[in-house]
Amino acid sequence: MQAESIDGVKFTTLSPELIKHMSVAKLIVSDTYNEDGYPIDGGVVDQRLGVIDPGLKCKTCGGRAKSCPGHFGHIELVRPVIHPEFAKTIYLLLQSTCEKCHRILMSESQIAEIRPAIEEFVKEEVGEGTEVEAPIMKEPEKKAGPIMKRLKSVKKCPHCDAPQRKIKLERPTFFYMEGNRIRPDEIRDWLSKISNDDLSLMGIDPIATRPEWLVITALLVPPVNMRPSITLESGERSEDDLTHKLVDIMRINQRLSQDIDAGAPQIIIDDLWELLQYQVTTYFNNETPGIPVARHRSTRPLKTLAQRLKGKEGRLRYNLSGKRVNFSARTVICSDARLTINQVGVPRRIAENLTVPIYTTQWNIELARDYLKRTEYPMVLNIISKDGIRKRVTEVNREELIKSLVPGFVLERQLIDGDLALFNRQPTLHRLSVMAHVVKVLPGKTLRLNTSAAVPYNADFDGDEMNLHVPQSIEAQAEARHLMQPKDLILSPRDGRPVMFTEEDQIAGLYMLTRDGAYFTKEEASIMLSSVMVYDMPKREKNGLYSGKAIFSMILPKGLSYTATSNLGEKTVIKDGELAAGTVSENIIGIGGPLIAEIFEKYGPDASAKFLHDVSNIAVRSAYMSGLTISIRDYYETEQIRKEKERIINEADEKAAALMESYKQGKLEALPGYTRRETLELELRVQLDIAREIAAKFLMKTLTPENNAYLMAMIKAKGNIVFFVMISMLLGQQSVRGRRPSRGYNGRILTYFKRNDRRPEARGFIRSCFIEGLSPPELYMHAMGARDSAMTKSLITAVSGYMQRRLINALQDLYVADDGSVKDASGALIETIYGGDGIDPTMQMVAGKK
Amino acid sequence: MAKDMKVARGEAVGVVAAQSIGEPGTQMVLRSFHSAGIASVITTTGLPRIIEIVDARKKPKFPMMEIRLDKSTSKSYEKAKEVWKRIEEVKVSGVIDGFEENLKSGTMALHLSKEKTAQHGITGRTIASRLSKLEGVSADQDGDEIRVKVKDKDTKSIRTRFVKVLNSVIAGVPGIQKVVMQTNDNNEFYLTTSGSNIEGVLSVDGIEKDEVYSNDIFEVLRVYGIEAARNLIANELQKTINEEGITVGFRHLGLVADAMTHTGVIKSVGRHGIAGEKESVFARAAYEETVKHFTNASVFGETDMLKGVAENILIGKQIGVGTGRVHLAIKKEELKKIKRKD
Repeated sequence: MQAESIDGVKFTTLSPELIKHMSVAKLIVSDTYNEDGYPIDGGVVDQRLGVIDPGLKCKTCGGRAKSCPGHFGHIELVRPVIHPEFAKTIYLLLQSTCEKCHRILMSESQIAEIRPAIEEFVKEEVGEGTEVEAPIMKEPEKKAGPIMKRLKSVKKCPHCDAPQRKIKLERPTFFYMEGNRIRPDEIRDWLSKISNDDLSLMGIDPIATRPEWLVITALLVPPVNMRPSITLESGERSEDDLTHKLVDIMRINQRLSQDIDAGAPQIIIDDLWELLQYQVTTYFNNETPGIPVARHRSTRPLKTLAQRLKGKEGRLRYNLSGKRVNFSARTVICSDARLTINQVGVPRRIAENLTVPIYTTQWNIELARDYLKRTEYPMVLNIISKDGIRKRVTEVNREELIKSLVPGFVLERQLIDGDLALFNRQPTLHRLSVMAHVVKVLPGKTLRLNTSAAVPYNADFDGDEMNLHVPQSIEAQAEARHLMQPKDLILSPRDGRPVMFTEEDQIAGLYMLTRDGAYFTKEEASIMLSSVMVYDMPKREKNGLYSGKAIFSMILPKGLSYTATSNLGEKTVIKDGELAAGTVSENIIGIGGPLIAEIFEKYGPDASAKFLHDVSNIAVRSAYMSGLTISIRDYYETEQIRKEKERIINEADEKAAALMESYKQGKLEALPGYTRRETLELELRVQLDIAREIAAKFLMKTLTPENNAYLMAMIKAKGNIVFFVMISMLLGQQSVRGRRPSRGYNGRILTYFKRNDRRPEARGFIRSCFIEGLSPPELYMHAMGARDSAMTKSLITAVSGYMQRRLINALQDLYVADDGSVKDASGALIETIYGGDGIDPTMQMVAGKK
Repeated sequence: MAKDMKVARGEAVGVVAAQSIGEPGTQMVLRSFHSAGIASVITTTGLPRIIEIVDARKKPKFPMMEIRLDKSTSKSYEKAKEVWKRIEEVKVSGVIDGFEENLKSGTMALHLSKEKTAQHGITGRTIASRLSKLEGVSADQDGDEIRVKVKDKDTKSIRTRFVKVLNSVIAGVPGIQKVVMQTNDNNEFYLTTSGSNIEGVLSVDGIEKDEVYSNDIFEVLRVYGIEAARNLIANELQKTINEEGITVGFRHLGLVADAMTHTGVIKSVGRHGIAGEKESVFARAAYEETVKHFTNASVFGETDMLKGVAENILIGKQIGVGTGRVHLAIKKEELKKIKRKD
């Protein structure tokens, strides 16, 4: 009998009776296989527990390896042992009950005081009239904790007046009462005498867990399917860690049983008993604190039950929260300006292997049949009949399948142009890291996408790989189509600004195209315009040429008006769909691009997608046409630069010397909260740090856009002025952990310097530039700074990744309820109206404007 | 125009908020403190500060206050300086030139500095009377000296008592270690402090009592209540993020703050807070401390009702947010009316 859907899962502990009831075999032999390599009856791989060998049949259900789900067995322990994971619970129970009468250490009046509160609580939580077997508490640990803590210090039983002795738990599983060991059987006895009533006072559900069950007498043995052995190439069998552990438990259990029967001395029995406890403890959790780790022959620690569940590689996080999938592909990505942001270029080879199901009905059966008849590329690979059997379509059976095709069959056809596929790049930091692109099958071996669409994925093309998933159900395809296409996701839910925009070469191309005085011949203009499939020509200028602004205007949406100040400081005016003045610069169309936002708001997703596509094509064409080359010559130090550099360095030196002098003379006053030495360091750092800024300002004054390297930095196509400074003037002050480098040898960074030398050059101030080359001590300083920043970068990804995991875990259940409020999974109200205004986060900027 | 501006019902706004804060996290600096310019107060910035807020740490690493001055004092440097004097804590060690201690007899002689006492406007008598109020300490003024005697007998506790005397605050607001005076665009003076003590500062005259700002979330909770704490969490998050040159919509930060405070107390994001106190056993187990959650659940007989996202993913059911919230309802009788077209 299979449940149709799971409404809830209740957690309980297994009683020995239940374990025996569940079990199909009592296991009694510690050996596993006989000489012939067949499982021994009564061993831990008994065939009644299921089979994993393809040849054998399960002795319980008769199923073969694939069809038998496996069955539980059990081991009867001759002496009870403590369940290590429940040792703490047992400890609490022992402390809060009387050692003689086993009642809760609370007087009747105290109980009477608490009971209504608990009953009330139960009513509130579960609701009256609901069928409850026993009182259930929400967060019982929290509620019961304080009660139990108080009971620990009760010295005399309020019921039978027996004095209470102190109980100690020695981790992980040993209990002592004033120095005397309490044996597990005694504990079991004690626990079994606690009444159900008293247990519910402590928040424990006696139906789910009778405390004596926490002391194990019968150990449940999982089916072999859960711990399969692997056969090595040599024919040798390698057992699972759990099987090893079970064999260990069996072995000790048997020896203990024999010794007891033989009447061995108590010491020997106690020793074996303790060993059995150890084996069981490590069987449940091999990382239990306080005991040595159980190891494999190869000294590798065994992976036992707790280790299977725990952590990132454990069952919960590795296999249940995330699962492996079919219908997916992964390969290297590269850019393709001819694709729209909404498309993905899929290599033929991938398209031939990924499939999309055709669910046949009376209405599409003809189309399906046509597909099935095909023998090349967009053809049907598999056919799934009504009873769910998947068959490969081959030359041999095609004709037959065509005949048998009726509505209700599912055909799996190859991926074709126009299908939707989910595209993803890891790390998947936000929802825009998975988007649904329209497939375009292309020759070649890489997945391709428009550079603007690469921005939200944070992808570049230096070897990045991305994943492609084909949604299989109609619902999934519909959801992808309506909710996940890049064109609809241009505005970021983070701040409402565009996440798809132009970068680098395209910025340069646009500058070349739209700057003042850019004119193109008819031929050039038509090449550019035909690249975006515009076949009209703009108005010709007086000089017989076409202005770049007019060419650009051809791809602007009709009637668009927009004004902004460009990076270069001039006013950029778009009036009625015409670029009237100024250049289209980085701050208009690059990161955060307000122009794209404007088009998205006024003309919608399709026009925005088209615009981004047109811009990338026309810009790339324009960049081809004009060309933009940098050379090392652009960075050469001119006489002027050399002089200024000298001046800057001298100035920094003088200032530093002056500061150090005033420190020496005791004139330098300490800033509040700092010592004088710290103040000196602080002031020095400030003085030296600005050397680079001064140099940058100077360069901005002296350089002209004739210098292509400078031009590139100015229009923000690539690089910035600080790079220029570092290449042709000076590298400036290096920093390690936010300060001047100070570690290394005693009082100095390199033995090249004198001890306690605080001069700029002895503390990471680099006067050389990359063109000149660095002196040896400078090289060391630079390497220190570089290492510091590399370390910081790797650390910050780990720290911020963990923070994001925590945030998502805390907030993942929040949703907008039908009334516009925000609620969590338990129905608790978090916000009365989402964000105070109920506005879609992708629209927050738009809404803010109005 | 193309899209409805209202948020869609069922939208998983929590995840969107978490991603909006987490995604730019890699762009933030790890430098835990910075001092914008030299003469200012140190605060935690960047990722460490965000983690500090989200973790709901009891005390910020660098508590800070911003205090507006009222009309009578904000325009005049002298008057502002007076307020400053009233706020900045003065310790005994800050008004003496030196001291002699006798560990045997438990006596100490403090040499008052004329200059320093005058600067803070404190007399020897007030110091002596303040010190006498300390437990186990008696103090008398003798000219420029203050003789202190402590009750303790053994050398070690005498020594600790002496240190206590030297560190005791005799003027200003306790906890305000440093005050920096700054001016705003309107040429008005205002004070920023390192160290926070809202109640103490509120009792000082000459300040705008409605505009006292502190970055200590738990102190704000204590003094002003949960709504103020909620706003502070959101505002501090926004301030920290904006300092990095990143923009994140306030709705996301507000949602995080609301999720942390909607129960009336501040819960941290993470194991000991929101994520660790979820109803669902599976959700808690899948997050952290897997085994602990399962064993406790069995002892207390908990039932997982499978309402949240994590647990439904775990068992392979559709999740209850977004499009997963929507179900199609059809009346069976109506369905029969539809004739199959054959």
